[in-house]
Amino acid sequence: MGVQPVIVSAGFSEHASKRSDVNMAELMNEAIEDALNKCNCTIDDIDCIINGNMAAFEGANIPELWMTDHIGAKNKPFLRVTTGGTTGGSVAIAAYYAVASGLYDTVLATAFEQQSCGSTTVGLSSVALGEVSIYLQLGYDYEKLRRNMGAGAAIGVGAYQAVNYMSRSHCTEEDLARVIVQNRHNAAKNWWTHLKMPNLTIEQVLDTPYISYPLRFGMVTPASDGSCAMIYTTEENAKKFTDTPVYVNGVASVSNETAIVTSEAGGVGQLDPCEQLGAKISAKLAYEQAGISFPEKEIDYAEVYSPFPNQELMWLERLGLFEENTAHIQYREGITATDGDLPVNCSGGVNSTNAIGASALERVAEAALQIMGKAGNQSPKEIHTAIGHGWGGALNLITLSVLADQPRRKYKGGI
Amino acid sequence: MVKLEYIKKQYPRTRRVHGNWYLSSYQYKFNVKRINQCLEHLRKGELVGLKCRSCNTVSFPPRLICPKCLKMPDQWVHLRETATVATFSGTYAKESGDTEPRPYPVVAIRQDGADTSWLANLPEGYDFFKVYVGMPLKIKWAEDKKGDFSDIEYYEPIEDPSIEMNKKEETEN
Amino acid sequence: MEKVGIVGYYQVKPETDIQMSRPEMIFYAARGALNYAGLKRDDLTTVISATNDYYDGKTISNCFTVDAGGAYLKDESKVEMDGAHAVNYGLMRCLSGHHKLALVWGASQPSTFYYSCIRVLENDPTFDRPINLLNDHTAAALGMRAYMNKFGVSVEDIAKVGVKNHKNAAKNSLAWNEAQLPEITVVDVIYSEMLSDPVTKLMHAMPCDGATALILAPEELAKKIIDDPVWITGVGLCQETYYLGDRDLSISISMEKSAQKAYKMAGIEDPKKEIDVVELFEHSAYEELILAEALGLCEKGKGASLSSEINGEIPINPSGGAIGAFTPCATGVTRLVEAVKQIRGEAKGYQVKDANRAIAHGQIGFCAQNNIVFILEGGKK
Repeated sequence: MGVQPVIVSAGFSEHASKRSDVNMAELMNEAIEDALNKCNCTIDDIDCIINGNMAAFEGANIPELWMTDHIGAKNKPFLRVTTGGTTGGSVAIAAYYAVASGLYDTVLATAFEQQSCGSTTVGLSSVALGEVSIYLQLGYDYEKLRRNMGAGAAIGVGAYQAVNYMSRSHCTEEDLARVIVQNRHNAAKNWWTHLKMPNLTIEQVLDTPYISYPLRFGMVTPASDGSCAMIYTTEENAKKFTDTPVYVNGVASVSNETAIVTSEAGGVGQLDPCEQLGAKISAKLAYEQAGISFPEKEIDYAEVYSPFPNQELMWLERLGLFEENTAHIQYREGITATDGDLPVNCSGGVNSTNAIGASALERVAEAALQIMGKAGNQSPKEIHTAIGHGWGGALNLITLSVLADQPRRKYKGGI
Repeated sequence: MVKLEYIKKQYPRTRRVHGNWYLSSYQYKFNVKRINQCLEHLRKGELVGLKCRSCNTVSFPPRLICPKCLKMPDQWVHLRETATVATFSGTYAKESGDTEPRPYPVVAIRQDGADTSWLANLPEGYDFFKVYVGMPLKIKWAEDKKGDFSDIEYYEPIEDPSIEMNKKEETEN
Repeated sequence: MEKVGIVGYYQVKPETDIQMSRPEMIFYAARGALNYAGLKRDDLTTVISATNDYYDGKTISNCFTVDAGGAYLKDESKVEMDGAHAVNYGLMRCLSGHHKLALVWGASQPSTFYYSCIRVLENDPTFDRPINLLNDHTAAALGMRAYMNKFGVSVEDIAKVGVKNHKNAAKNSLAWNEAQLPEITVVDVIYSEMLSDPVTKLMHAMPCDGATALILAPEELAKKIIDDPVWITGVGLCQETYYLGDRDLSISISMEKSAQKAYKMAGIEDPKKEIDVVELFEHSAYEELILAEALGLCEKGKGASLSSEINGEIPINPSGGAIGAFTPCATGVTRLVEAVKQIRGEAKGYQVKDANRAIAHGQIGFCAQNNIVFILEGGKK
């Protein structure tokens, strides 16, 4: 039966819209050094390296091949795992399995993105370029398609979700802006984040123009450069490296079919993009593994992947932390603030910093640091159990890691 | 336009090297056998969807693969001409004749009788703020049919009796 | 290490320009593997795919294959390397005890893009890419020249590998049509189209469309699903440095390290005697020799004198290898599947006698930068 994986360290590089002082390899190296320095570990202790990024954003295919020496992967096992927006989460899960399988002892999980050296628009537009071309072949009017697909890119996908979420939960645009304000304020207290806005107000956010209804310019995620690294190891080895190990008790990455467009321009089975069946099943699996029966009570901290404010509300509900359609009320009460009952995204979240490939790994890393008590914007509350969540693809890929300060209580094995 | 200020840090610049990557040179393939039958029906002014025999899911436009069963659906079923809005969004764009960017509705439509949705069009210039999830629509066929998706000119909104019911409920509460 | 069994597989026949769309091709591979094992899609617990964003012309290339690859509402992930690396991830998931059945597939359609142009994007973007000299052909040429010079191997010796693999491919019905050349001679290989001196077209793996899938299951379950499953008893993975100038191209350090680890795991002491058949992923004919040497099957520089025919001492690539059918991303999975066929006695026309222990190999990068070795065993002995 599998080995219990433990997180001993997590490191970041500084994030900014243009990290023009470094190249991809150096950017990676910053995070790796930070992670190694934070625990009693050197690169020689690492048995395996798992890395990921979104290849299309830098215009470099499998960049790890030429980065080998910069990330310390020389003459070591190396695996590249990429799944779009969830890349970081998938890397974290792959590192979990690498340790859990017993094949490797100490695993370095890294993810990075340097969007400033490529074209994010080109990268994103080619997500569905094949499908769009098929639509055109089948006689779809070009002008109309351009407009429809303009809304179908990442922001538009968020907008579809937002519309459905608002019609379900009756939350207002002010509620969405409140989420943004909380995140950007949190980001200002964290050293590595991108959009630090300590004085932002709800009115300022609501003053910005719409990009895609109901999302405004002030509500959307930035494009950042940055990287993140984490060290996974076995329970035995963890004693050498740190006094505050964080146990990974459950992981899941359940994929749904795509929303908005499907392969070969067929009909889309995901009618309601804010239902998120994949997230619900992932949560069920991961909580089951971790022995969590009452997520709303047992989980003390959540890092959710929310480029858009409505998503933050939605994920908290779908992952079982709040009752359906009530998350925005919890935000009004201040429950999710750093000093609240259930602190959410104390790092500022994806909304303030989005180095796409690394974002989902940063969620797991921040969750781990909060349990260790070493986070940049540490919650005053004592945190025992935390979750790190990731989202990506065309609204269909989900990753979830459940972390705790003690080993999993009971797990019978199998799904 | 309001600009949101944030704390910025300047990084020294380095030398840059130009690199290309060839996005436009891909030639995607797709299966025409499946879609051609649907297009033939469109030419006749009929709507057909593909039904998976094992889970009874009907897809329109027809899908190649049923994800639930991992089988190729092969049963054609006729669909009604009415549809509903499954979800929608609006892009803010400046088209010819606009002084300010204004929202254009973008809707995902579920054909009645099918279990899937697709991106279709409302009448040109339809007011974005009148669109809502669950809005009933009816197909408007093009004058001369070519046997492709342009035969469906647009979906016309039709009278929705449930809206009055919802209003009544709200006033009662 | 606990044993993990391979209980099902399927290969879509590779073609130059396959008359199938990408999801369709993946669907046939996934469905075929499930049918082989006699399973329903619902029985799967996890799906690992091996695709590449650049090879597919799609950012997030696994997001539109969820339906075709059988991953709908299943625990899913993608490895953006060779298929063999994806099998390694599937193996990790099975060994962890969380998953019962893992479907692993790899697929790509080089007919939809210019393979050599895309390989250039794997270069170091600041030094190698602007110069635009290093691509898969020139890298192979540099490696081949280094190997020939160091050990005094002739072009004919290397061409013989091409001849052997093309002849083997002719016996394999699932090899690429254009590589099935039963009448080929050494002269044909040497005087075929020059790609980059001394590498010619017939001694290089040319890309074609195809998909391959296999299903992994832990020991207990595998025995229930089919009779005599093939077990994965060892795996080794290693990556060496990228810059060709920093490497000795005439040997493969990463392959040696991977092989050592895999042998240790499987308890193999003398590979020459204990291994019955080897399936290598050779990008170019000379790589087969270097990799066989690194596996310890013969001394360094003596690869050419190894008796590696189907009825030879240690048969290497009886299926035709990557020269027989090179489907980027799927080749590594195909190598495992071919080894499984040999062990199960299902290799019609190119069966090695009494094969019970096999090596399957996958690689990625220029001059085999990253290698992965699997030891597969049947239950006969």
